[in-house]
Amino acid sequence: MPTSMPLQAYLVLAAVLFAIGLFGVVTRRNTIGILLGIELMLNSVNINLVAFARFAGDTAGLVFTVFTISITVAEVALGLALVILIFRVRRTAVADHLDLLQG
Amino acid sequence: MTADPGTLAALALLLPAASFLLLAVAFPLRRSGRAAGLVSVLCSAGALAAALGAWARQTPEGMTRIVYEWIPQEAGSLATVGVLADADSTIMLVLVALVSFLVQVYSLGYLDAEPRPALGRYYTYQSLFAFSMMGVVLAPGFLQLFIFWELVGLCSYLLIGYWYERPEAARAAVKAFWITKAGDVGLLIGIVLLWYRAGTFDFLEIYDLVRAGQLSVAGLGLVTFCLYLGAMGKSAQFPLHVWLPDAMEGPTPVSALIHAATMVTAGVYLLRRTIWLFALTPDVLQLIGWIGAFTALLAAVLACVQSDIKRVLAYSTVSQLGYMMTAMGAGFAAAGFLHLLTHGVFKALLFLGAGAVIHAVGSNDIYHMGGLRRAMPQTHIVFVVGTLSLAGIPLFGGFYSKEEILGAVWSGGLVWPFWMLVLAAFLTAFYMFRVVFIAFWGERHAGGHGAAHGHEGGHLHDAPAVMSVPLWILAALSVGIGIYFVRHHGEPEFTAPGWLTPLAVGVAVGGIVLAWLTYQARVVSADDLARAFAPIRRAALARFWLDDFFEGLYRGVLLGLSRLAGWVDRYLVDGLVNVFSAWTLTWGDRLRRIQSGLPQDYVYGLAVGLLLLLIWVQWPR
Amino acid sequence: MSLEPIAFGALSVVLVGSALAVVLTKNLFHSVLWLALTLTGTAGIFLTLDAEFLAAIQLLLYAGGVVTIAVFAIVVTERLVGDRITQTSRQLTNGFVIAAAVLVGVLSFVLRAPQSGPRPPIADDLTRAIGESVLTRFVLPFELLGLLFLAALLGAIYFARPDD
Repeated sequence: MPTSMPLQAYLVLAAVLFAIGLFGVVTRRNTIGILLGIELMLNSVNINLVAFARFAGDTAGLVFTVFTISITVAEVALGLALVILIFRVRRTAVADHLDLLQG
Repeated sequence: MTADPGTLAALALLLPAASFLLLAVAFPLRRSGRAAGLVSVLCSAGALAAALGAWARQTPEGMTRIVYEWIPQEAGSLATVGVLADADSTIMLVLVALVSFLVQVYSLGYLDAEPRPALGRYYTYQSLFAFSMMGVVLAPGFLQLFIFWELVGLCSYLLIGYWYERPEAARAAVKAFWITKAGDVGLLIGIVLLWYRAGTFDFLEIYDLVRAGQLSVAGLGLVTFCLYLGAMGKSAQFPLHVWLPDAMEGPTPVSALIHAATMVTAGVYLLRRTIWLFALTPDVLQLIGWIGAFTALLAAVLACVQSDIKRVLAYSTVSQLGYMMTAMGAGFAAAGFLHLLTHGVFKALLFLGAGAVIHAVGSNDIYHMGGLRRAMPQTHIVFVVGTLSLAGIPLFGGFYSKEEILGAVWSGGLVWPFWMLVLAAFLTAFYMFRVVFIAFWGERHAGGHGAAHGHEGGHLHDAPAVMSVPLWILAALSVGIGIYFVRHHGEPEFTAPGWLTPLAVGVAVGGIVLAWLTYQARVVSADDLARAFAPIRRAALARFWLDDFFEGLYRGVLLGLSRLAGWVDRYLVDGLVNVFSAWTLTWGDRLRRIQSGLPQDYVYGLAVGLLLLLIWVQWPR
Repeated sequence: MSLEPIAFGALSVVLVGSALAVVLTKNLFHSVLWLALTLTGTAGIFLTLDAEFLAAIQLLLYAGGVVTIAVFAIVVTERLVGDRITQTSRQLTNGFVIAAAVLVGVLSFVLRAPQSGPRPPIADDLTRAIGESVLTRFVLPFELLGLLFLAALLGAIYFARPDD
């Protein structure tokens, strides 16, 4: 085993987390479950960013991660607020029932 | 204005054009009938004077070329217009101008019963025709030739269908147009192929190429054959001769002008003009010779069974055109051209004479005539002059040109065609004198006046001066040319065998004798003769079924082709469009299901897009 | 054997396991709890990458804030007391195929790259460096971020208004 993990290890980890998050997004029926999957994907992106920042020696990646986290928090807040609103109107949080966009 | 042949020729060309434009535009003038006729006749006279002047000033070797650039190109011009005046074109110009003038004068008398607007229309077309034909004669290159060639065809259509209310006339006009058009397609293809090889349309430039040996001979046969097709159509060679007899539906002066002296000779003239090109392809020349001889014989046979005087003359024209073409095919274009000139004179004479007879009797049928020798002595004399010239009796112009042709064909080595021509000469004398004996001699036949061509009954007297003076002029010319040749017998390009002249004369006299025995002295029974040649006679009366063949071809090929095209359009083209529209609808329906409204499905789409992006980025280059 | 690979290996196992649990658990509330564990594991990964400030932020905002909000949402939309909060999943095989395909795609890309070199030395005070970057090089995005928060706040207030 090397003394420190190479970059690829972190990238592979992030890719695995991303795939799992994608799986969650497309299979979960509850809207909040979908949001949790999105969280996982964003999380994996952050790992990627920090790893690249570390191996390039540039703090830009870290700053970008800070921004990403902030924006994610805002997005989650509003997303869940939307879910609550829909629940108030439609009495359901199941994503399958929210198909008004059907063509 | 200089008085060189080129300028005078151009003047001769432009006068009828001016007449046509004037009559076409100023329709009060046209509708007044006789005034239009006078305008046209005057311009025609001016054109004749100019043509005579051009001819008089023309030296045998000289050439004047006036050319204007029409379509420019980087190196030189693509197409030019102008006049090319040399020995051939000026004498031909004189023939065209002369016959045109005489016919127009004659028409003042022949069509005197026509309504005035119709008469004006007639003279407008006559002027246009004169202009077009002179354009063909004076063309310096193939392009101008072709343009005026087509214009001549148009005028033929207009003039044949002059009495367009008669269905036969309308049909005949369309038939003439169609058949000559078939030949014209060949001509056009030939011109384009030649341009592709030579890079120019101009006669002189191509001639220089040929003389310098720069024109490749390989595959040139196709080009010359295509050019010949145009001549075949216009000059009524077998099998494109079928339009000429039907074209007799037009007024007789029109037949005299167009179908005797000028338009049908355009094909022969084209060959004369470009014989140096055809000399490079001897096979095509041989073919031309054979077809010409066959046409001559076929038409002579057909003429023997006709009872319509104009039809006899029409077939006679076809036959004589065959003679000219055979001479061309033998390689001696001068002999054919000479016969063109003499034939133009005496055939026009014969047609105009027939016209006088028709005008008087009111019918075309020779069996309705008879004994006209006493009723119309002047017409009888000029008609016999024309017939003697056609039959080839010495002292008349036709004899010399015919003998030249026979000598040329013999020297050119075309043996079978030679004997075909000799037999045709025998038949020519026979059928022409058959007409003379039936129509002019003998007694008046029963069933006299039919109401034909809008003329009322018969006034059996000689033609009025306006009709008879042209006749006398032409008759004098026929004899005059004959006497001219006796005095100035030029050096022919070949040596004719000694037995040729006696043979030619003997054959002609033999035909006359047979006709006299059969139709005048009644020693030989016409019915016995008919029975002896019964199968040929039957075939000739059915015109050898050529018309039926063409009709069948038209029905079969053209209509079949159009039916096929209709099927393709309905099932293939429409079907293709319908299939596309059905596909669009089906796939639209299917693609619609992607829009399920569920965001997770859209995430699927995103994921698939991402995959495709990854694959595309990594694709091994 | 040094500490780093062991730490990385352990954290990876924890991360992947809890992520799988997030997406596969039927109980939604349990999913949220597993997510909390995932986010904490991510903070550990950040630590192995010498990004302490970010690990702290991750714990504060993600594991603290986001999870809390998610719990609130579940409470409002589901009945916690009484029936079990369950959820079933749809089209598992399709999802698995797609996710696996994406994974393979990305991995093929990543693993083809040449091995990276050793980590470069970093400044001692990374926090200070981040702060300086934010306020000099990235001051514009920083301000825009403030604007974004304002918008989010306004939106949340609007959403949260009582029904009139």
